[in-house]
Amino acid sequence: MRTIGIAVTLVLGTTLAGGLGAQDVQVRLDRRVSPEVQRAVRGIAADAAAHGLPVDPLVQKAIEGGAKGVPGDRVIAAVRALAGRLAEAKEAVSEAGVAAPSGDVVEGGADALNAGLSRSQVGALVRMSKPPQDPALTLRVAATLAALGVPATQALELVQGMISAGRSPTDLLGLPGQVQAGVARGATPAQAAAGLARAAGGPPPGRAPDWVPPGQRKPHNPHKP
Amino acid sequence: MMGYHPLVKRLLDGELSLAELPPELRAEGEEALRLLGAVDRAPVALSPLLDERVMAAVRSHAASPAHRAWRWLNTPREVELRLRLRPWTVWAGALAAAAGLALLLGRPAPAPERGLATQVRVGLRDSVFVRFVLYAPGARRVAVAGTFNQWDRSAAPLVPAGTSGVWTTTLALPVGQHQYAFVVDGARWVVDPAAPAVDDGFGRRNSIVAVTAQGAHTL
Amino acid sequence: MGLEGEATDAEIVRAVLAGDVERYAVLVRRYRERYARYASRMLGSRDVAEDAVQDALVRAFDRLADCREPDKFAGWLFLILRNRCYAEQRRRQREGRPLDEADEMFAAPDRPDGAYEQVERTHALERALQHLTAEQREVFVLKHTEGLAYEEIAGVTGATVASLKMRMHRAYDRLRELMKEHLE
Repeated sequence: MRTIGIAVTLVLGTTLAGGLGAQDVQVRLDRRVSPEVQRAVRGIAADAAAHGLPVDPLVQKAIEGGAKGVPGDRVIAAVRALAGRLAEAKEAVSEAGVAAPSGDVVEGGADALNAGLSRSQVGALVRMSKPPQDPALTLRVAATLAALGVPATQALELVQGMISAGRSPTDLLGLPGQVQAGVARGATPAQAAAGLARAAGGPPPGRAPDWVPPGQRKPHNPHKP
Repeated sequence: MMGYHPLVKRLLDGELSLAELPPELRAEGEEALRLLGAVDRAPVALSPLLDERVMAAVRSHAASPAHRAWRWLNTPREVELRLRLRPWTVWAGALAAAAGLALLLGRPAPAPERGLATQVRVGLRDSVFVRFVLYAPGARRVAVAGTFNQWDRSAAPLVPAGTSGVWTTTLALPVGQHQYAFVVDGARWVVDPAAPAVDDGFGRRNSIVAVTAQGAHTL
Repeated sequence: MGLEGEATDAEIVRAVLAGDVERYAVLVRRYRERYARYASRMLGSRDVAEDAVQDALVRAFDRLADCREPDKFAGWLFLILRNRCYAEQRRRQREGRPLDEADEMFAAPDRPDGAYEQVERTHALERALQHLTAEQREVFVLKHTEGLAYEEIAGVTGATVASLKMRMHRAYDRLRELMKEHLE
């Protein structure tokens, strides 16, 4: 029985991933969001599919909103905003020379835009992601660095420096964790990224600060213990 | 024109005195000094209970084994236990989890080329065990919900580690990037303090983890 | 208090790392008020600042083993608090919380000699500070509230003196605009 169950699961998984038709969208949203949200998301998803955009992230976002108890109008607005970012990301990726980008790359581009990278920066990341680099991964690493507080330009330069230095995709994946480690030691995200860029042979970083707290050098500070 | 004259800015920086300003800038200088006169340098008093709250957290974090778990939680790390071939009983359970997640994610499951056994091996290679940990003293229930389980608040409960306040669970996640959050007591959504987070589009944050064949990263 | 006051930060950090967790209370008492003013001015709310200071102190304990130079604990703790303040500001910005809906601004100081006008002006400046960028606000607070020189601020933030001055001069212009009716 267990073997049969697993086989059915895998087949279903393949079918769902093969392309979300209107019926699939309906099934996945059923009882997870209100009928009003279902109707709106079906429309947004159909429009996205017609433009060659991935539909799964839109459905996921609607389900997430439903699970978190977000009001229907805000769920619809978030799904619509995501569809807009996906469209913008697809354009940016296409302009960078990828005529028919995969859904994963488009989704990565949308993540990067959401994290504060510009359209031209998304394009630059795609252009520099020659094999063995994966543009979807490169975009997500840059997006996560930006989410950690690394300025977008610096995140781009850091990723670029790593790729130029011949680092592997796995090395790129480790960057956010290393930035976090730097922040845990008291550096700002920008300082932590600058240190990594220096280590990767990247652009010259800003000088790491000497750890001087406010008032520490000022004997007259009223808060000095 | 609302900006201050450059010489007045030097006055504010303490590099010039009012008397050193040209007469025509004195009035502007006096106005600028009124700005600095409004700076409140009085100490800010915090609640006297703050010390006790900090020390209560510190004692709690220091208690073994929670302290170790807490330090682990706050240290960027690979959170994975690599999925390898196990004795048959474990292997079957892991397979079920990985296959179920493939369905829930709506991601391409490994192509079924040679029947189930082939799918199984490919599926195993593409899944990694990821351990989730949350320090939540006082919580009655904790779960993890995310893109890997359709944000289902009850699909992946965490288990308390004794009475330490540390909750954990281990899930087999497919290779890829996943967003998630912890759900405390069925209603409160909490980001993972040890992972980067992104805007969720609803005014909250989602944590991110990237799962690769080499392991999981707090990406 | 006498003995506590004499112990250096480095001695206390080493004692805590060696297992004497209760000694950490000395560092908590030593730094809670000292950094409260910076956090309050940066975040515009005493309550939010209190959360930030508390969180920074707990985080610092959790990462104490990473404090490689225990005699510079004060600066290390400050940077943890600073990161926390910036994260809070980013979060608020992303959530699009209007300043007026933020947690209540702290009250204007109750000065015994307080002329109403002066109190109003102080209150207006606190509000205006929240309309600066976080970087502008920080340089203003560190220079004019905490009394640091540009060179010292550069040491704390890693920015150059020239860029700090540029931020500050923009802050002056913006504050003049925001405070117009209170300065004339």
